[in-house]
Amino acid sequence: MDALSHFLHSVPLDLFIIQTVNGIVAGMILALVASGLTLIFGIMDVVNFAHGELFMLGAYIGVVIVAMTGSFWLALTASALIVALIGAGLQIATLRPLIGRDPLNTILATFGVSLILQNFALWEFGPTVRRIPEPLGTSFTLFYLQYPWYRLFIAVLSAAIIIGFWLFLKHGKFGVWIRATAQDRIMAQAMGIPVPLVYTGVFAIGAAMAAASGVLFAPLVGVSHTMGLDWVLKAFIVVVVGGMGNLAGSIAAAIFISLLESYATIWVDPSQAVIVSFVVLILTLLFRPTGLFVSTPK
Amino acid sequence: MTENWKNEAWADDIWYRGKVTRRRLIGWGAGAVGAAMLVPAPWRAAFGAAKPYKVGSEQPLSGAGAAGGKTAVVGLQMAADRINANGGINGRPVELVIVDDESSPAVARQKTVKMINDDDIDVHVGGFLSNICLACMPVWQDAKIVNMITVCLDTTLTTSACNRYSFRLHDYAPAQAVAFAPTLVKMAKKWHIAFADYSWGQSTRDAYANEIKKNGGEVVGTTGIPLGTADMAPFLSKISGDFDGLFAIFFGKDGVTLANQAYDMGLSKKYKFAGDGSISESTNLIAIGNKLDGFTAINRYIPVFDGALNTPYLHHFFDEAKKRLAKVDPSGPLPDKYVQSNYEALNAMKIAMEKCKFDSRDDTMKLIEALEGLEVKESDDFPQGDKTLRKEDHQAFIREFIFTIGNGTYHLQEIVPKEKTYVPPACKFQAA
Repeated sequence: MDALSHFLHSVPLDLFIIQTVNGIVAGMILALVASGLTLIFGIMDVVNFAHGELFMLGAYIGVVIVAMTGSFWLALTASALIVALIGAGLQIATLRPLIGRDPLNTILATFGVSLILQNFALWEFGPTVRRIPEPLGTSFTLFYLQYPWYRLFIAVLSAAIIIGFWLFLKHGKFGVWIRATAQDRIMAQAMGIPVPLVYTGVFAIGAAMAAASGVLFAPLVGVSHTMGLDWVLKAFIVVVVGGMGNLAGSIAAAIFISLLESYATIWVDPSQAVIVSFVVLILTLLFRPTGLFVSTPK
Repeated sequence: MTENWKNEAWADDIWYRGKVTRRRLIGWGAGAVGAAMLVPAPWRAAFGAAKPYKVGSEQPLSGAGAAGGKTAVVGLQMAADRINANGGINGRPVELVIVDDESSPAVARQKTVKMINDDDIDVHVGGFLSNICLACMPVWQDAKIVNMITVCLDTTLTTSACNRYSFRLHDYAPAQAVAFAPTLVKMAKKWHIAFADYSWGQSTRDAYANEIKKNGGEVVGTTGIPLGTADMAPFLSKISGDFDGLFAIFFGKDGVTLANQAYDMGLSKKYKFAGDGSISESTNLIAIGNKLDGFTAINRYIPVFDGALNTPYLHHFFDEAKKRLAKVDPSGPLPDKYVQSNYEALNAMKIAMEKCKFDSRDDTMKLIEALEGLEVKESDDFPQGDKTLRKEDHQAFIREFIFTIGNGTYHLQEIVPKEKTYVPPACKFQAA
């Protein structure tokens, strides 16, 4: 007990608080990316390998809209809407014909779409990294650091988008259709719910969420054709740890893993701290394969 | 059900049975390929039946290094077009065989073997990512093919990992550190180095740590950040302590991320901020905006014409490269060092091939001897300036430019002559 107390006292408070803030911010961005991914899997049983490219496409559309209008907010909403339409088109053209086939078919189809989108971006926008200026340029003092307000803003806005989506699922007519389809597709169809339309709508919503996260994150890193790859691997880990198709589980897992990684950086090099998420993934697959935040089937 | 629309009358114009059969499609395809083969390559009219020199070039056209790889190819193509327009090499045209290494050492090695065996290249001029150059150098050596490195900056390429077949016509970190360290120590005595955690970043970190110490300064800490890290906040928020200067070693997309996030977290304002010029390449400044203002760096090429840089050679190079870059990238970036070093590397290869009357791979040893100790003068072929390709380690020494960034553009502070960048050779060749 003394050893634990000594260990906890040895942690510098400033670094602990800074890493807590870092973990929550990274967790909320990851939650927004992962929620689209888990939604698509939960309803459609499709592992969407093109999710990172929809994230990237959203950011590029944001670049174009900011260049035309100068408005970040317009870029955020318009790119989400445009990518939602593209997502709906992709679902109709590539995934709808594969319904009922082996899941490997949809994995290969979405992987193909991801390669096409990535190379399209390289061809259309060129190799140079592009920029979306952040709407909030100020920062506040957090111990020895100047912490940008924009990072906190991303976390808050991500939370707002996720809460808004949850309310839509809970109370909206289309949300009820989505939940009904997720529970029992055949019964939902028998009750008159247009399941193919629900599938298309769900893919469009997932794509819009990816696009919104792309625009939100672009001011921190710049926009490039490979930017989706950086987040989508982690989003997959979060979706598995949170329970495939479990929205609340994915959000909890995103924050849990990001906080764990952040705290690990207090003691080890941040590049080694990444190992934490893989350890959590392996332990989850070994001991709770349905996900950390899903009750284990009896 | 889904095919019913094809039976509608309105669909006859775009689809009916028999209009586009597979047989016809194959026939048209074969015809198109045949016609394309009959159209002469651009150089064929000028050179008749002369067999072209095949110059292989490995570049990252996809993956992490794609942004730089695309501009590198612009420089190479610019040199090849210019050479062919002026009579080729030894009266023979140059044909580029460009392969995409996908920013992966494993893929690069496979494609190197393919260029050697299937494409039958005569020489290689290329290489962008240092880990790929390191992985492929032994393959060029085994195949006895001259390898002119065009971008890779890792120190060991011409020191501990050197071999007789590989050359580097541009600078490397120890030379840049010798040129830059006196300025750095004047800026601040105690430094913290943040670096891209792979071969180039690590060897560059060591070179600067060494030279800062030699000049009376001190490096009190280092932070390695893996390539492709999207959120650098966990790394940057650990950078604190008793130092006055932050030195950054990054390139490409990581350079953009570092510049943005170091500014956002106040690091670039709190400390004297300096680093490798790769962070502030013209292709990166588009995405960084004014966040790099105050940054001091060193580079072998910057697209400005201040003072001694106002030469007709640099103007010609800039104008032509800018025109070509606009075709590759709609944002119209200015030329960068990747364009410059690829352009000059092929021009140097031309001089050596003419000097030794190179015919084929059988003449590789003659070509190596022609390249060893090669001296080139500032000209349209070498707009960056004079160069000496040292015989002992195949490393070139060139002038360097120290500059600061202000209002999102370059301000030249000092030109360091090549003689002031010399570092003793640290390479032992195996017997060829």
